[in-house]
Amino acid sequence: MNIHRNPALADQLAASYALGTLRGGARRRFEALAREHASLRAAALIWQGRIASVAELQPEVAPSPAVWTRIENLVQADKQARLMQTARSAPAPAAPAGRWWASLGLWRGAAAAGAFATVVAVVGGVSLNSRLSGQVRELSARLSATPAIEYVAVLADDKANASILVTFDPKTQKLVLKRVGDFREQPDKSLELWALPPGAPAKSLGVLSGDAVVRLTAADSDIRRSPALAITLEPKGGVPPGTAATGPIVFKGALLKTPE
Amino acid sequence: MCIRLNLMRGRLRIGNICQTIVRMNPESPDSHLIALLDRIAQADESALKELYGLTSSKLYGVALRVVANRSWAEDVLQEAYLNIWRVAGAYQASLSPPMAWMGLLVRSRGLDFLRRRASDRADHVQELDEVIADTVAGDAPNPMDTAQASEQAWALHQCLSQLEHRQREALSLAYLRDLSHSELALQLRLPLGTVKTWIRRGLEQLRGCMARLA
Repeated sequence: MNIHRNPALADQLAASYALGTLRGGARRRFEALAREHASLRAAALIWQGRIASVAELQPEVAPSPAVWTRIENLVQADKQARLMQTARSAPAPAAPAGRWWASLGLWRGAAAAGAFATVVAVVGGVSLNSRLSGQVRELSARLSATPAIEYVAVLADDKANASILVTFDPKTQKLVLKRVGDFREQPDKSLELWALPPGAPAKSLGVLSGDAVVRLTAADSDIRRSPALAITLEPKGGVPPGTAATGPIVFKGALLKTPE
Repeated sequence: MCIRLNLMRGRLRIGNICQTIVRMNPESPDSHLIALLDRIAQADESALKELYGLTSSKLYGVALRVVANRSWAEDVLQEAYLNIWRVAGAYQASLSPPMAWMGLLVRSRGLDFLRRRASDRADHVQELDEVIADTVAGDAPNPMDTAQASEQAWALHQCLSQLEHRQREALSLAYLRDLSHSELALQLRLPLGTVKTWIRRGLEQLRGCMARLA
């Protein structure tokens, strides 16, 4: 097809391409030709620009004021997460090899990548997951009612479903874990919480009872050094003190310092 | 050029001339929006707030047209501004007018949202706002809005104004919702042939008109 010698046809196809109604084989042929012929490529770009302006011509409708409040909260959380990432990205010595958490980079990557997503999930609640927003309201209420809480984490499963909320109050050295998902371990298993300090082996913070709210005692230093927490599925009662985790990680999440 | 176009149609509308003059003002809304995006790229929250004040109604309008549901559109808007907050620095690499760039962000967030919904529930088409289909079926007054529109959008507006309302709606929805002819026919509850004809003729007229304006 000598499309590049037929400017009217080229322009017509470019317009349909930009509008999106050129589909299937015709679209693929157009794309292939555009890669070959600069003039066709130019026509497509011009039309993409023109058609994109359709968005500018839509009638204005005022959104609910709540939207800005949500955005503002998310932006605050985003700023906080960025600061924390910067603070925590200081280089750390290599982790001892041969254990499941040995890949420190993986953890830190997960913590860094997870931090933003977690904050978005936590603070925004986004109505994409309305279950979460209820939890977030509750968490926010608790945070304001308990100003001593300095750290908070939402531990999620591999599908990013929030399952356990964690708060830490350094004054009382109390970790409070609240189960919010519907995960229940089998009777012969226990969930065990781990701090993941950079450059050091994961440290057990304790075993979760089956209660909806679990209180554990943790040293301030263990929490401060950990950018992330994880929960593994272990034999009933957890692993013997001082030994490594044996089971799979079921929940994990970044540990975030709450705004001062 | 707006004057010439309108004369061609045998009508001269004062509003258009005034708007044309306003648009020649060097302190265009575009340069202000660009300055705000620059500040947002430096993590300036007050700039985001001002940008939101200036553009949220327009962008919410876009989001509403894409997802056709108020609360979904609010989610889309929220995601879009968060996205703007995070990627404002990328605007400099774009050659689009700022409103067009933000409109693209909103549209793509909206389309993502619809895809997620569609995978959640197959019947989302039924949930689409029936008002839209009704608008297209009738010949309601021109719903286009040129407040804050870029020069490029202004030209498009001139050309779209010359189309029949229903053709214009079909073109807008095809683009905003990324619909094929058959999807469009389904949403507008019109025969496929009619939709194809509208789109073809609409694009044809648009091509002629844009070529004269360029």
